[in-house]
Amino acid sequence: MSEQSRNAWITKDDPKLVSSKHKDNFEDILEDRRHNSDLRYCSRTRDVPSFRLNKKRTPQQVKEHVLKSDRVQYAVEQVCVETQLPRTEVLTQAASIVDEMAHNLRLGAVRGFAYFLMKVLKQLYQRIYVNEEGVEKVRSLIQDYPVLIMPTHRSYMDFLLMSYVFYHYDLPLPVIAAAMDFMGMKFFGWLLRNCGAFYIRRSFGEDSLYWAVFTEYVQTQICNGDTPIEFYVEGTRSRTSKSYTPKFGMLSAALEPYFKSQVSDIMVIPVSISYDRVLEESLYAYELLGVPKPKESTSGLLKARKILEEDFGNIHITFGEPVSIRKFSDGKVDRSMHSLAPRYIVSLTQEEQSLIRTLGYHMVLVHQHNMVISPWSMVAAVLMQSQQGVTVRSLVHEVDWVKRLASNLGAYIDWPVNESAEAIIRHSLALHPNIVSVGSDDVVTLLQVSPPVAHGRSAQQQQIQQFAVMQNAAQHIMLSLYRNQAIHVFLRPAMVSLAINSCKEEELSLDLLYQKYVFLENVLCRDFVFIPGNTRKDFEHTLATLAHIGVVVVEAGAVVVKKSTNKTTAFLSHMFEPFLLGYWLMCQFLLSSRMQVAAKPLARTQKTLTREMQVLAARLIQEETIRHFEILSLDMANNCLHALFHMGGISKEKRDGVTYMYPNVAKLSTITEQLGTYTAVPPLPAVSINLNTKTVTVNAKL
Amino acid sequence: MAEKENMSKGSDASTTMFCTSRGAASANGSVETKQCAESNGNKVILDTEPPTIPKRRQELLKWNGWGYKDSKFSLNKDGNVEFTGERYRLSGSVMPLLKDWMKSTVGISLDHKTPSQPEIPAANIPLPVKNDEFVAELRKTGIALSDDCQDRLFRSHGHTLHEIFTLREGMFERIPDLAAWPSCHNDVVKIVELAVKHNVVIIPFGGGTSVTSSLECPAWEKRMILSMDTSQMNHILWLDEKNLTVHVEGGIIGQDLERRLAERGFCTGHEPDSMEFSSLGGWVATRASGMKKNIYGNIEDLLVHVKFVTPRGVMEKSCQVPRMSAGPDIHHVIMGSEGTMGVVTEVTLKIRPLPPCKKYGSIVFPSFENGVNCLRDIAGQRCAPASIRLMDNEQFQFGSVLKPETKSLITSFLDGLKKFYVTKLKGFDPLKLAVATLLFEGTKEEVAALEKRVYEIAAQYGGIPGGADNGERGYMLTFVIAYLRDLAFDYYVVAESFETSVPWDRCLDLCQNVKERLHGECKDRGIQFPPYITCRVTQTYDTGACVYFYFGFNYRGIPNPVQVYEDIEGCARDEMLANGGSISHHHGVGKIRKQWLKKTVGDIGVGTMKAMKAYIDPQNIFANNNLMMGDHSKL
Repeated sequence: MSEQSRNAWITKDDPKLVSSKHKDNFEDILEDRRHNSDLRYCSRTRDVPSFRLNKKRTPQQVKEHVLKSDRVQYAVEQVCVETQLPRTEVLTQAASIVDEMAHNLRLGAVRGFAYFLMKVLKQLYQRIYVNEEGVEKVRSLIQDYPVLIMPTHRSYMDFLLMSYVFYHYDLPLPVIAAAMDFMGMKFFGWLLRNCGAFYIRRSFGEDSLYWAVFTEYVQTQICNGDTPIEFYVEGTRSRTSKSYTPKFGMLSAALEPYFKSQVSDIMVIPVSISYDRVLEESLYAYELLGVPKPKESTSGLLKARKILEEDFGNIHITFGEPVSIRKFSDGKVDRSMHSLAPRYIVSLTQEEQSLIRTLGYHMVLVHQHNMVISPWSMVAAVLMQSQQGVTVRSLVHEVDWVKRLASNLGAYIDWPVNESAEAIIRHSLALHPNIVSVGSDDVVTLLQVSPPVAHGRSAQQQQIQQFAVMQNAAQHIMLSLYRNQAIHVFLRPAMVSLAINSCKEEELSLDLLYQKYVFLENVLCRDFVFIPGNTRKDFEHTLATLAHIGVVVVEAGAVVVKKSTNKTTAFLSHMFEPFLLGYWLMCQFLLSSRMQVAAKPLARTQKTLTREMQVLAARLIQEETIRHFEILSLDMANNCLHALFHMGGISKEKRDGVTYMYPNVAKLSTITEQLGTYTAVPPLPAVSINLNTKTVTVNAKL
Repeated sequence: MAEKENMSKGSDASTTMFCTSRGAASANGSVETKQCAESNGNKVILDTEPPTIPKRRQELLKWNGWGYKDSKFSLNKDGNVEFTGERYRLSGSVMPLLKDWMKSTVGISLDHKTPSQPEIPAANIPLPVKNDEFVAELRKTGIALSDDCQDRLFRSHGHTLHEIFTLREGMFERIPDLAAWPSCHNDVVKIVELAVKHNVVIIPFGGGTSVTSSLECPAWEKRMILSMDTSQMNHILWLDEKNLTVHVEGGIIGQDLERRLAERGFCTGHEPDSMEFSSLGGWVATRASGMKKNIYGNIEDLLVHVKFVTPRGVMEKSCQVPRMSAGPDIHHVIMGSEGTMGVVTEVTLKIRPLPPCKKYGSIVFPSFENGVNCLRDIAGQRCAPASIRLMDNEQFQFGSVLKPETKSLITSFLDGLKKFYVTKLKGFDPLKLAVATLLFEGTKEEVAALEKRVYEIAAQYGGIPGGADNGERGYMLTFVIAYLRDLAFDYYVVAESFETSVPWDRCLDLCQNVKERLHGECKDRGIQFPPYITCRVTQTYDTGACVYFYFGFNYRGIPNPVQVYEDIEGCARDEMLANGGSISHHHGVGKIRKQWLKKTVGDIGVGTMKAMKAYIDPQNIFANNNLMMGDHSKL
C-alpha cells in the first residue's frame, strides 16, 4: 500500500477508509471511553464555563429565593384572601411545593451517575455521535446568555443522554424539567433529582400558588443563568416517533423573563436525537394499541436488564443552530407593554403568546430538519408498503430509490459511504430481529411479538384481544414507528402528490391544488406539525421542490396530471394512505351513529369513541376489508378527533365536567366525502360490533 | 452634560462693536449693536457684569469640541495625559494611569490618530439665505446682528456626537443665515414680530450645550434662518428676599447665576452638569434637572413664573404664586417645548439661602446591586443628601485612573492602605465593587445628622464610607468627562452619553440589559475592539431613578462610525423602553429621539402637542423640527 501513495502527506491511501471516531460533522463520544479508564474519566477535574452575569447559588439558595420572591409572596397573599387560610399555612404549602419541585444538582452524584451511565451506554450502543461544532457553540453561548436546551423526546434515554453529553464536553449540567412520574421511582427519583431533574406536575391549571412557584423557580434560574435549562417542547415522549405538536406552558414560562426584560436575551438550542433502535419500541406499540404503559418503577427498569444484552445500534445527537429570542421576536413584540404594572402580576400579551407558539412550532420543524435518518427508517417505509413480504434484492432496490428521494427532499441520511447498499440494509435488518426476519428464501417478513404481561387487564382489553388481529398489529405499529422517523421528510410532497393522484382531469390548476393542500393540512394538523399561517409558503416551497426534482410537471399555471402521476407520487400517496383511511373510517363511524337519538347525534366521550372505533377497525381488518393495521392506533384516532373538532366536523360539550363529543352531521359528511376522494375507500358492510354488552351498528349506507 | 437653547433680552449692555470675518474670503460679516431699545423703565438692574460668554463665542470656546479653548486633555512631552489650563482643579495635573487605561480598555493606539480638520474655511460654509426686507427692518431696531461665517457656524450645532464629528470631519448642510443678540425681552418680541411678518425661521440659542441635535437646522429649510442668541440677556432683574424669589433674564448661564446670587447670600441650587455653559432659558425649554435636586428640586419645582415670547404674542401667568389651580398648567407647555413654540425671556425662580455647610462623601459597596438597593432605601426613607450618585465598577475604575500624579508619599501610602482595607479586610472584589458619591448641604448639624443616617443605611447593604476625596473626584469627573471625549476623538474613538429614568424595580435589570445589548450590538456590527460601557445612577426619587450611560468604542476598521454609533444608541434606547425606562430624564427629545415620542406619549399625546404648536405657531416660525414636529417614524 505504502508504495502506492502518491503524496507523502497521505498516510492511508484508501478512499473508503472510515475513521472510527469521526463521521461527517459527528464525533463518537463512546470511542475514547472504550479505551480509557472510566473511573479516571469520572473523577477528573471539569473546567466548566459559566454565565458571565451569574451569581453563584446553591440549590438551597434558589429555593429560598423562590419563596421570598415578589411573585410567590403575591400569590400567597391572593390565596390567603381566597381561602381564608392563615398566611403561615399557605407559606408552608408553598414551601412544600418548592421541595417537591426543586432539583439538588450535585457534582458528586453526577460523577457517580456518569460512571454507571457510561457502562450502560457502552453496553447498549455501538456509537453515540454528537456534532461537535454544535456543542462548541453551546459552550460559548453559555457564557453570554441564559440557555434553554430543547431536545426531541423519543425515549427515556434522551434525558440521560443529554446530561451525559454535557458531562462529556465539560459543560455545566443542565437542570431538567421532568414529569412527576419519575419522582415515584425510589432510587432513580432521588438520583435524577441530584443530577439536576426538577419535577413538575402534569397539570396545575387552576392552582395559582403552584403556578407562581413553578414560574419563579424556572425563571430565577434563567435570569441568573445558574445552569442551562432543559425541557421538551413536545411535552412528553413521542410514542409514535413522529414529532408531537408543541406545548407552550413551559416554553412561555421560560421565555417570559425576556418579554418582561429581566434578561436581555435567551438562547434556545434545538437538539435532535435519533436512535437506530428505540429502547421502548414494543412498549410504545402496545401503548398505542391501548395496553396501558406500566407505571415507571425501579424494578421495572431493572427487569429491563435483559435489554442490556441487545444491540441498539447508533445514536446521533445534533445540536442545532441556536435561536436568539431577541432576534426571533424582533419587530414582532413590544416589550414596553409591560411597563405599566409590576412584572410579577401582568401576563404576556397576545402578540407574545402567539410568537411563543410560532417559536414552538418552529423548533419542532428544526428538530425534524436536524434529525439523522437511519437506513432502517427507509427500509420500514418500504416494508410498510409491501406487507406480503419482499425479497432482499428488491428491498435494496427500493430503499436505494427512497434514499435518493429523501436526500432530494432535504433529509440527512446516515448512509455509510464505504458499504454496499445491500450490506447496509442487511445490517439494518439484523439490528431489528424482533420486528423482521429474513427467511431462507431471502424474503423479508414481519415477526410476531408476544404482548407483555399486563396486570389487571380490564374486560374491555380482553375483548379487544379476542381479535387475533391485534396480535399482528403490534408488529406493524412498531414498523410504523421507524417509518415515522422519516415521515416528516415526505409529508408535504405527499400532500401535493395525494392531491394530484386524486385528480380525474387532465390538468389541475394550482389554485385548486392549493385548496386541496389546505384541506389535507387541516386534516393532518394533529398527526403532523405545521406552522400556523405558513401554509402558502410551505405549499409553494414543496411544489417548487417537486418540480425541480422532476416529479411534478407544471405548465401554464397548472399541473399536468398525466406527467405528474408516477412512481414517486404513488409512493408518497401510499405512505399516507393509512392516515387518510383511518380518518375516513372514523368519520363514517361518527356519522353512522347519528340516528341513535332522534333529534341529536349521540354524544360520547373521546375515550369511548376511540375504543369503539378501534373495535370497528379491528373487525374490518379481520374481514380483510382494510389492510392497514395502523388504523388501530388510538393515537391516530385521538388526533383524528382533534382535527375534526378543529375543522368543525364535531363539537364538544361538557357534561358533569367530562367532555363529550358529537358530530356536526352536515360538515362531517362533507369532510368524509372529501377524504374519500384522496384514497381508495373500501365498501363498508353493515357491521355490528359488540362492545361491553352494547351493540353498535355501523351502517355504511349513508 | 446638558441642556440648552432659548433667548432673552439685555438692557444696558452697551454692546461692543466688533468687526468681522477671519478669512479674507468672507467679506460680508458684520455685527451691529445698539442698546436695548428703551431701557425698560420699571426694571431695576441688579448688576452690570458683562456676560461670561462673549458674543463671539469662538474666541473663548472651542469651535469643534467641548468647553474652553485653554482646557483640554493632551499628551505631554513624556507621553502622559495632562489636563491643560488653570480653570479646574484637575488643570495642570498629569494623569499617569490614563494613557494605559485608554490603551487597555478601548484599544486606543497612540500610533493611530484622527486629528480634527484645522478649520472650516468660509468657502465651505453655505451662503446665507437672505430675506432682505426682514433684514432691513431688523436693522432698524438696532438689535445686534451678524452674518459672519464663524458666528453662524458656531450656532448651528450643539454637542451631540454627530455634530462634533461633523465639525471635525465635514460640514453641515444648513446653518443659520443670521445671528442676532437681543438684549432684552422687548428685543425678542420685536424679532419674533418681524419674523412672523416676513416668514423667517427663528432657532433660539442659549448655551449651545444641547445633546439632542435640537440646534441643527433642518436641511430642507428654504426660508431664512435666524439664530437668536440669548447670551446678552443675562441680567438678574430683581431679587425678593421675602418671597425667596429671583427674577432673571433667560440668557444667563448657570455659573453666572449662582455666582451672582452667592454674592447676595443665595442660590437656586440648580446645578446641571453643564452649568458652566447652559442657560436658564435652555433649562426651562428642556425640562432640565440639577445635581442637587434632592434639596432644591428640578427646574419644574423651581419655576415660579416665566415669560414666553411666541408668534401669537407673549404667554405668561398674571401672578407669581406658589401654586394655583387654573386648568392645565401653561408652564408645563413651556417647559420641554425645546424651542418649537417660542423663546423664554424672563424667569422667576425660587432661591434659598446659601447653605453654611457643604460636605462630600462616598460609600463603597461590594456590588452595584447592593448600591442600587441602598439608594432605593435611602430614597424611600426620604433622607437622600443633596446629591447621591452610584457609579458602577467600570466608572469607579475610570475615576481612579483620573487620579493626578500623587504629589506626596503620604497620599500614596494612604491610598494603598485604603485599598488594602476595602479589598483585603472587607473582601470586596475590586472588579465588582461600586461607589456612591455624596454631597451633603445644610447646617453643620443637619449635615452631621444626615451623614450618620445615610452611612447607617449603607451599612445594612454592606456599604462602607469611602472618604470625601473619592466623592469629590466623582463629581469632578462629570465636569471633565466632556473634555475627555475630545481626546478620545483624536484616537479613533466615538463616544457619547445618554440617560433615562426608570422605576426602582426595573433599575438593575435596565442597567444590565442595556449594557448587554450594547455589547451584543457592537459584536454584531463587527466592532473589533471592546466597547467602553458604563453607567451610574445619578438621581433618586421616591418611585425610581435616573440612569446615565457612557458608551464609546474604537472605530478603527469601521467606515461609518457615526452611523454605527447612532444605530447602536437607538438599540439601547429601544432596550430602555422595553425595560420600563423613559425616552429621556433630562436631555430631552430634540431630533435624535423623536422616533420614540409617539410610543412614549401616545397618538393623542403627540396630537395634543401638535395642536398647541399649530395654535401658537401656525406659520412654523420656530421651525427647528424638534420634538413633535415633522414626521415620526413608524414606531
